[in-house]
Amino acid sequence: MSLKDMRRSRLGFLRALVIAGRSGRVTRRYPYEEPLVTSDFRGKIDIDETKCIGCGACVNACPPNALELINTRDGYISLRYFVGRCIFCWRCIDVCPTGAIKGTREFELATDDISDLYDIIVHEPNRCRECGKLFSTKRMGDYVVTKSPLVENYVDLDPDCRRNRFLKAIENRFGGRVG
Amino acid sequence: MGKPKFLGKSIWVFHLNTGSCNGCDIEVLDVLTPYHDAERFGVKLVVSPRHADAALLTGPITLESLPKVLRAIEAMPRPRIIIALGSCACGGNIWHSSYSVIGGVPELLKILKERGIEVDGVYYVPGCPVRPESIVYAVGLIKGLVPKKIKPKVKKVGR
Amino acid sequence: MDIISKYIDTIKAVEPKADIHVSDDTVYATVSSSKLRDLAKAIYWDMNCFFRTCAGSDERSINGFYALYHIFGDDNNGLNIVLKVYADPNNPTLPSIVDIVPAADWCEMEARDLLGIEFSGRKQYRLILPPYWPKDLYPLRKEVSYDVKPQVIISSEKVGFWDKTSAGVAIPIGPYHPALHEPEYFELYVEGESVVDVRYRGFHIHRGIEKLGESKLTYQQVNFVAERICGICGFEHSVCYAQAIEKAAGIEIPERAKFIRSIVLEVERIHSHLLWIGVAVHLLGYDTGFMHTWRIREHVMIIAEMLTGSRKTYGINLIGGVRKDINEEKKQRVLDVLKIVEKEFTELVKTMVDVPQIMKRLKGTGILPREDARKLSVVGPTARGSGLDRDVRRDLPYAAYGYVDFNVPVYDDGDNLSRFLVRVDEVYESISIIRQLLDQLPQGPVMIEEFDIPEGRMAVSVVEAPRGEDIHFVITGRGKPYRWKVRAPTYQNIPALRVMLRDQPLADAPLTIASIDPCFSCTDRVFIVDKNGYKKRLDPILYRWR
Repeated sequence: MSLKDMRRSRLGFLRALVIAGRSGRVTRRYPYEEPLVTSDFRGKIDIDETKCIGCGACVNACPPNALELINTRDGYISLRYFVGRCIFCWRCIDVCPTGAIKGTREFELATDDISDLYDIIVHEPNRCRECGKLFSTKRMGDYVVTKSPLVENYVDLDPDCRRNRFLKAIENRFGGRVG
Repeated sequence: MGKPKFLGKSIWVFHLNTGSCNGCDIEVLDVLTPYHDAERFGVKLVVSPRHADAALLTGPITLESLPKVLRAIEAMPRPRIIIALGSCACGGNIWHSSYSVIGGVPELLKILKERGIEVDGVYYVPGCPVRPESIVYAVGLIKGLVPKKIKPKVKKVGR
Repeated sequence: MDIISKYIDTIKAVEPKADIHVSDDTVYATVSSSKLRDLAKAIYWDMNCFFRTCAGSDERSINGFYALYHIFGDDNNGLNIVLKVYADPNNPTLPSIVDIVPAADWCEMEARDLLGIEFSGRKQYRLILPPYWPKDLYPLRKEVSYDVKPQVIISSEKVGFWDKTSAGVAIPIGPYHPALHEPEYFELYVEGESVVDVRYRGFHIHRGIEKLGESKLTYQQVNFVAERICGICGFEHSVCYAQAIEKAAGIEIPERAKFIRSIVLEVERIHSHLLWIGVAVHLLGYDTGFMHTWRIREHVMIIAEMLTGSRKTYGINLIGGVRKDINEEKKQRVLDVLKIVEKEFTELVKTMVDVPQIMKRLKGTGILPREDARKLSVVGPTARGSGLDRDVRRDLPYAAYGYVDFNVPVYDDGDNLSRFLVRVDEVYESISIIRQLLDQLPQGPVMIEEFDIPEGRMAVSVVEAPRGEDIHFVITGRGKPYRWKVRAPTYQNIPALRVMLRDQPLADAPLTIASIDPCFSCTDRVFIVDKNGYKKRLDPILYRWR
């Protein structure tokens, strides 16, 4: 609406008192009253340790690298979630293959100690039956077998031993040395 | 570190934007408007670091703004605390490894220690951007009105 | 077809060996660097186009050269024209077009700072990176990693510019000041009450976003970075990027997704304009207006959270559609809230207009005449407040804007009051657009899952942000963009400040600067006016880029 359509008067600014009186006090006295959070709000995520297999799909999808796969002990792989760097986009929930990650509506996350902001799930690794090296996680092996039962023989071999065995199988099948 | 004893009644805050996108800064302005009203806790935004108890830092600290941030923190009188607001200040957000960014308050504390500037308390408030209610909760935590709710979770799983 | 043939003929008349191909609404022409200046003159002045941006790119791994893309735009016909030139990899030098096209100044210096391309025929200076950055380290070259951290010494740094040749008394403002939301450093030189000189140093917000988008992130992750370029107008950056990739790869997204994107874009526009109105009256001293405007704005934030999941930086955009849907209950809630907002906002604006200090300080200050606005090709409400009728939603329709009917408010006076009224009117237009869109919302999916993004395609995408037009230019690569360039709207508006601040009393300067709604993902350039009224070019140490 243009300026011409608005009727102007000398004391019109006193209408502010009417507006203030009508709206009254709108303050939500949080934390003693309910805050203005809707049911769609995206808060902190919660990782269910009974379902996580340590595959790393969420690690690939996370833009700020708040979810990371780190080594905690020799060969043990852990999923670490750093709330301080999370952008609450919930992409990890979209891509998790087992539905282990759930979104919550938590936003009361302030703290004075930064180590409170780390959630860690330590997975038990697989041990290679030939060379004894630790690799991947036991649960990941089980998950892969349920999807594709043919690979059951290879699941407890680490990638190098697996490669060697495959090359040997080709050698035996076609005769002569390979490579 | 527990609740600093000197912050009994009101906290005067100096707002420092070290390269943020303004999302958290607008929520800081929003927290002073009628719906959330942080001033009922005695929080006030002050104009000079010499008047402040707390430095409210937003943004991953960029190389260009680093000298100015150090001078501002040094100008605050003891005892002083730093409040790291938002995902950028707590851990650097998506830019934590970029060429032009220091990486947030954890890295800044190392630089402050090297130069001998001491800080009496640090608080971290995650969020991207931070909700006004999160900021009010953080103020309540500093003053001792609400208990701390977040706990770290460390679980070992087998098969 | 007619107008495109005209452009092809114009280009071929200057450079017969140009390699031209046309895709959608963009004409791409590869020309030799010796003919660049004549072509720029032909397109910018003879064909009456606007300059959008220029982007440098390291293509040594593809064809062995550095490339520079100059992008022009013809709004009346809805076209973009891209001129590409190559530079020698061992000694990259190109002719500068800054005397023909003044708006190309900062883009060229950005290419020099980040890629090392030198420009002949102009004065060069360091723009983006801090002064203590090493001289031969160019972050945007492909061999430099995104996390290189050179050793820098930061202890001794002189921030001010005052020396014996400066006129008047210097007033330093910033980088940290209560009136400013962002770190920027102004030095105002005043004589009495009039501002005679302004120097500026910005650039505290450079975070290396373009380099991250090309090295560390994947296609879908860049959406979230684009949203955090700016916290207030973030969603339109994310839509612009997604549209650019969809245009380059030829992906057609579902209709319902286009409607949802447009609805959320308009919600963002309402919240941004209400924010600006509150801040503007706060700068004038009327805090009652500030508190009531932000009280009304809270309703808009709540429906944004209900529709998308977060109060701002919504995070619902992906390449191929959106992540969240609207059901009947949410639709009804949005319509109810819009009714409340419209009623309360009307009453508030009527009250504010009657407050004597607001009208007196807004009317007749910070005037930008129409001819100056045309020469500097400003965008957004700054242009519409000075009589220029430019709006990308109507001229180059994108998303679902082709299905709705709306007016574009234009005021002729060019002062702060016109820009204020343009934004007030746009709030009403946005409310009407949302109602029309919710009415016509089609059924269907909101996302397509299977698509392919081939390498080596280019696209330019333009979106109307609350502050003006926003441009993203992408070249696709494997799994992530090869080159991604962002030109935010305030970039184009800041040169208008030199005209608006000339001979203004000091007290009006903050409101004039705020009236272009600076989002500071922009460059900032102010001219010096010395006390005899002569204008000289300021040594720009002003580039702010995100």
